[in-house]
Amino acid sequence: MMSARNFPKRMLLPSVLLAALIIIPFSAPLITAEDPIKIAVRYRLAAPDLQHWLGRDEFGRDRLARVLHGGQVSLTVAFVATTIAFIIGTFFGLIGAYFRGPSEFITSRLSDIVLCFPPILLALLVVTLFGPGAGTLVAVLSVLYFPTFARITFSEALRVTSLDFVEASRALGTPSRRIVLGTILPNIAGPLSVQYSLTAAAAITIESGLSFLGLGVVPPAPSWGQMIRGARQFMNQDPLGIMIPCAALVLTIYAINFFCDRLRDTLDPKGASGSGMDEVSKPLALADAPAIRDPNVVAVINKLRLETTRFGTPAAVIEDVSLTLRANECTALVGESGSGKSLSSLALMGLLPGAIRQASGTLQLRRKTGEVVDLGFLDARTLENIRGNDIAMIFQEPMTSLNPIHKISDQMIEAIQAHRPMSKSDARAHAIQLLKRVGMNDAERRIDSYPDQMSGGMRQRVMIGMALTCEPRLLIADEPTTALDVTIQAEIIELLQTLRQDQGNGLSLLFITHNLGVVADIADRVAVMYSGQIVEEGPANQILRDPHHPYTRALIESMPSSHEGLHSTDGDRLPAISGTPPLPSARPSGCAFRDRCPIAMPTCAEIRPVLYPSADGERAVRCLRAPEAPAGLMKNHQTEAA
Amino acid sequence: MTAAPLLDVQNLEKSYSIGRTGLFSKRSLKVLHDVSFSVAPGEVLGLVGESGSGKSTIGRAILRLIDSQSDVMRFGGQDLNSISTVQMRSLRKEMQIIFQDPYASLNPRKTIRAVLSEALDAHGLHKGAARGPRLIELVTLVGLDPSFLDRRPHEFSGGQRQRIGIARALAVEPSFIVCDEAVSALDVSIQAQILNLLADLRAKTGVSLLFISHDLSVVRYISDRVMVLYLGRVMEVGPADQVHFSPKHPYTAALVSAEPSLHRESRRIRLTGEIPSPLALPSGCIFRSRCPYAQPACAETVPPLQTAGDQHQSACLRTDIL
Repeated sequence: MMSARNFPKRMLLPSVLLAALIIIPFSAPLITAEDPIKIAVRYRLAAPDLQHWLGRDEFGRDRLARVLHGGQVSLTVAFVATTIAFIIGTFFGLIGAYFRGPSEFITSRLSDIVLCFPPILLALLVVTLFGPGAGTLVAVLSVLYFPTFARITFSEALRVTSLDFVEASRALGTPSRRIVLGTILPNIAGPLSVQYSLTAAAAITIESGLSFLGLGVVPPAPSWGQMIRGARQFMNQDPLGIMIPCAALVLTIYAINFFCDRLRDTLDPKGASGSGMDEVSKPLALADAPAIRDPNVVAVINKLRLETTRFGTPAAVIEDVSLTLRANECTALVGESGSGKSLSSLALMGLLPGAIRQASGTLQLRRKTGEVVDLGFLDARTLENIRGNDIAMIFQEPMTSLNPIHKISDQMIEAIQAHRPMSKSDARAHAIQLLKRVGMNDAERRIDSYPDQMSGGMRQRVMIGMALTCEPRLLIADEPTTALDVTIQAEIIELLQTLRQDQGNGLSLLFITHNLGVVADIADRVAVMYSGQIVEEGPANQILRDPHHPYTRALIESMPSSHEGLHSTDGDRLPAISGTPPLPSARPSGCAFRDRCPIAMPTCAEIRPVLYPSADGERAVRCLRAPEAPAGLMKNHQTEAA
Repeated sequence: MTAAPLLDVQNLEKSYSIGRTGLFSKRSLKVLHDVSFSVAPGEVLGLVGESGSGKSTIGRAILRLIDSQSDVMRFGGQDLNSISTVQMRSLRKEMQIIFQDPYASLNPRKTIRAVLSEALDAHGLHKGAARGPRLIELVTLVGLDPSFLDRRPHEFSGGQRQRIGIARALAVEPSFIVCDEAVSALDVSIQAQILNLLADLRAKTGVSLLFISHDLSVVRYISDRVMVLYLGRVMEVGPADQVHFSPKHPYTAALVSAEPSLHRESRRIRLTGEIPSPLALPSGCIFRSRCPYAQPACAETVPPLQTAGDQHQSACLRTDIL
């Protein structure tokens, strides 16, 4: 897992602290020569002096010696008991989760029985039966704590066992023992290590508690609980006496927790999460873009640039993205994962992730009132008002956007009432009307079902219905059919088409997808994105029939459905694009696509192409070799170079 | 197919128990009904169907990753129904699986070297000095750089992870691989790369594939034969191009027509109603509740698979329509 040569820095401090707290008590004879049980009544409660740094207790015993020797007992009892509980509990948990059946029954029932007893009562019972002492304490604490380990191991292991890589190991014929210990156990180490720290800390406290009650370590042997018990009677005269063992307890427990927290972060292969990503996007200075004049235009994105500092220096995740969204029109935004298509739409919603900042450009929206606003510098409240009222959004997986524990009716009524003041019964009637509009038969009855009682297609219809609550002018659909079966996908696309063509509505649809076939079905215009830029834009039928950008062409060519004549067994291969899209921090110079482009020229590395419009202004393409590119560009450049 | 099949499955069934109705009676949900098929050495059999059709269940049942019942299940001459655990473990060398989700199918804690070594260790292959060269050979085979061996999965893109998953399956030189939606989670350009890789591997090593996918065009391109499933029953099976371009079953026809396409003018066959719950399947033909051609007779008999052409079978009473 973690080899010595890459011992992470963040483990250094907690490791040193914990090691110190363990080593110091056990090196007591090196620190003080005093005997922790030697009584000298003459010096009872003596103040600290040079020989006895922490003074003496109620029997005149040296406190430093007692707190150190007591620490040995407390730590040994706690760690031995926790380790035993950890081993037994993890064993039962793993066996139960991996083999299920009878072993699952034994694990869970055994844990249930032990968990039924109040811990301190169980401890008292055992101590009364077997008499006090460190050995009994270890036994009690292990019995007390193993069910917690069994429970946590069981549920975590169950989760991991259902993952594909465990199934892959089984398919490979790896022996069960190796799967359980080599694959499952390391993947549940995080929660287990946290539980270990919590339990060790709790064990120290319970040990102290029992010793305090006189049921733990037998006097005169020192332990922290014993020390507190003794010092309690003299608390008013001598507060130092009670503070010393308490401080030792607090420090130890803190060190253990600190260590285990860091350990969990280190064991996570992806590293610590959520560090340094909290930068919030700020509104920009007023932009100089012209206001939208055409009343048919609902929204305009102009030269949008979004940056992230995730890669050290600011890198553009979105660069020079411009789009015009019109009423009664569907614009498809197409691209592969990481191309920036979803970010562009989140920018419109004012929902950019914290690590991403709008660096320049404008996002204008014509509200239903006719007022034109720039979404880039609105306050949070106005933005909230715009979302739902003027812009609505639907997502890929409707199940994650619907709350599984509330009925559809409750969720819809709440959404309606949030935007429009109306009575509950009116809101319900409105909800039913919306569901009918999105093609749900028997809406009066089905509105009272729960999300999991519906099929994926029906849930997506509900989401669309909810999005239409306030008659928004712009509907953003982010891969709304990707999780659905093809027959259901066709129905949802048909529904969106009908809603859009609904004359009174004037809805503008921004449809985000990776599927060019869906684009052909639904879109009027299409914008193809690659590595944060729009590389080609124009009427969907023109672009799909006659793509001018080599990337668009390659995308279409790499779809098996574009080649009805090709078959793998005849030795035919699909024309695939080699390589992978570059990260925003590692884009090549010049054209971002050139290192994967089949027709790239040396010039492509030198000129960063912009979108070159066609003669009729209908379409545009970002390629030096496209027919739209200024004729002289490449030639002039070559002459210059020569 | 004249050669003896590599895999032969007759009347495969699978039920899940879903709680009790009485003290002794259990309610069960049947997800596979009477599924029979065979795969010849070097053949690619495509399995298509919508979610809930049982296509993934078939893949896992063959690999004995889940329990199932069948009259016959033979692989390479061995009876999988009576095989011992020990024999099954050594047989796993011959049968492998590639998963859909490249993010869940690799253990995040293991380096690529450890992932591939696990496969070799499980069968005691390429021990000692032979290990290093074999690992390099494997990653090169799937088009990755040998320097990737000591990295962990989170450093790779989806397409690269999928290649690693393929390398893991190939490590033990299997004769049969279940590809469970192996390209569905990938971007189009990467999907084409992986499909080409699978086609090359098949041509090079002669491995048989059970290619499970919901994407009909992908299945048509990669498969020799295609089997169409609906709610755990076989609707149609036949040569890939025939099933795709001249389907004999109305369900296949509807599926093909619903697929979004760039060039074909869509003449979509509309299906009525929703997919019925597996707990309340229609009598007779299970597709009849959504079928545009259903007749009263369809409610009475479960249509058997009937010959509809060369190696082509369809489970539809209405042979007059398509």
